[in-house]
Amino acid sequence: MNAGNVSPGNGVNPSELSAAVNGFNLSQIAETDFEKRRGINAIEVRTGYTQVHVTGLQSPIASSRIQVLTEVANAGISLDFLKLTPTGLSFIIPSDKTNVIQKILQDKSYILDLATDRSIVSVHAVNMRDEEGLIASILHKVISAKIPVDHVADMHDRILLICHNEFAAKFESIIKKELGLV
Amino acid sequence: MSNRIHVMKFGGTSVATSEARLTAAMKVISAKEKGIQPVVVVSAIGRKGMPYATDTFINLLREIDPSVEPDARELDLLIACGEILSAVVFAHTLKTLGHSSMAFRGGQAGIRTDGVFGNARIVSINPTALLQSINAGKIPVVCGFQGVYTEDKNLPGGELTTLGRGGSDTTASALGVALNAKAVEIYTDVDGVKTADPDAVRHAPTLKSVTYDEVAEIAHLGAKVVHPRAAEIAMTKKIPLWVKNTFSDEPGTEIVPKERFPGRRVTGVTHTGKLVFMQFNLGECNTEHRTELESSIYQTLARYGVQLFMLNVSPESIGFAVPRDQYPIVEDVLDGLVMPLGSGDSRVIYVFQLGIATPEVETQVDLLKSLGEVRKVHAKLTEGCTVVSLVGHEYMQQPGVFLNVMVALEKAEISVLQTSDSDYSLSVLVPEADTMRTVRTLHEKFELSKIE
Repeated sequence: MNAGNVSPGNGVNPSELSAAVNGFNLSQIAETDFEKRRGINAIEVRTGYTQVHVTGLQSPIASSRIQVLTEVANAGISLDFLKLTPTGLSFIIPSDKTNVIQKILQDKSYILDLATDRSIVSVHAVNMRDEEGLIASILHKVISAKIPVDHVADMHDRILLICHNEFAAKFESIIKKELGLV
Repeated sequence: MSNRIHVMKFGGTSVATSEARLTAAMKVISAKEKGIQPVVVVSAIGRKGMPYATDTFINLLREIDPSVEPDARELDLLIACGEILSAVVFAHTLKTLGHSSMAFRGGQAGIRTDGVFGNARIVSINPTALLQSINAGKIPVVCGFQGVYTEDKNLPGGELTTLGRGGSDTTASALGVALNAKAVEIYTDVDGVKTADPDAVRHAPTLKSVTYDEVAEIAHLGAKVVHPRAAEIAMTKKIPLWVKNTFSDEPGTEIVPKERFPGRRVTGVTHTGKLVFMQFNLGECNTEHRTELESSIYQTLARYGVQLFMLNVSPESIGFAVPRDQYPIVEDVLDGLVMPLGSGDSRVIYVFQLGIATPEVETQVDLLKSLGEVRKVHAKLTEGCTVVSLVGHEYMQQPGVFLNVMVALEKAEISVLQTSDSDYSLSVLVPEADTMRTVRTLHEKFELSKIE
């Protein structure tokens, strides 16, 4: 039996369904479109971040890292992209908190390196983990294009990369050109 | 007359034994007696190692000659047998209980997919045959995980395809949409989505509701109660989706859109399976060579479909974790890999070494020395580690969340090897031996036993 032409994406109209279930009008049943296409579906760039590197922490390093995090939390500053390094840690904060962080941590004699003008580039793809090799492909393309990446993180539907503002647009165009958007 | 269709999907453990099938069948019959029109979706009977499980079928081919990869098309034909068998057995079980039933292959149920064997996506469903079956007073039992691909819609037949990971959940959700069902119920062997693995936290509560993003992130980070593909389809088309227990009468967990769950919370603690973390030391490479080496690592891993967790970049190194079962692939393709870069005086021959150098790698290095400067790209391996993640809803951006995690773990004397975070999660890489203790520590710290 052939299906009728009901708008895709809406499933079976309830009135048609009840009629169909009761033995009427089966020819009006819809076909429905479902899953999003695999691959990258969007790229988003958020600017206005600073990456803070704290180095030279004293042993025991785990306790020293906690002291740094305590200072940041006490200042009411939210941090993202925390990364542990052999002698310290790094994290991302909103740019407008840069001076506050600098003062707080330098007052406590921490060794700081501030990488300002950072962007977060998010590459979106549905259910990324199951698209085997997709995360690695994105990184391959970005690195091949000689874009310095400060940090990487991933979520179920996107990979997030930190880079200098000046590379964000290049990043976006490389991904669109090399991997395409669905 | 309103729509009374419920799609009820039963996973491998729910159909693994005749007792389990009887319990599942009684759920279906009970629903029918309440005036619901059930449409059943089943997975293959049992899990890994059992006679009719998907892996067992795959092994039939591997045993012939492990070095010859089966064709994806043939593999799909073979593994789809598991669900066909399961659907027929389930339909017959219903019949023996006095309820007329009809088994459907994916294609017979009208499920059409794209042509990607082994990982097909559903492109359309024509539910006419299912509705005819319901109309005839039967309970349709549909094979999960499969569909049919036809290049030309007007041609008969078509190629059988399988849907890849989460395929049976996806079938259920998609049928729910096609039938405009009142609910899609995913039956499993737990009471719903829990705040933690009950093996780690014995009395971990079951969440009454969880958002699509939370459940997708939980799956991304290791605990697949319902597959994100299924959740996404149901969410997009606004079909209520539930996770329930075949073996209890608990109400289960409803998966809801974000809009229905305002406010912030920590949802749960999840953990991955066993991972191997590798940190490649690139500190001695010049910038140009480093770019090529990094790029080559990722390109190789992409080619072999290796899954990456806990990605990490620093001025001296790059690091990531891979599932332990994929590590042999990584070792095969990267350990001992030779990459000559540059030319003339700047030419350097790089040799990758994973962990401690094998005699083969050492011999290779010695032989290559006659050709120019040889440098090792050494990856420090941390075998036996796990990622434990705190998953939350509009919570991770609160000041002090990282601090609370680090303090709690330090008090518990758990070493944090690395961290990672995103909008929905905060993850720590810990020694595998500390996995359950880490889960328990974070569960307690964030008072998840009080969550609803």
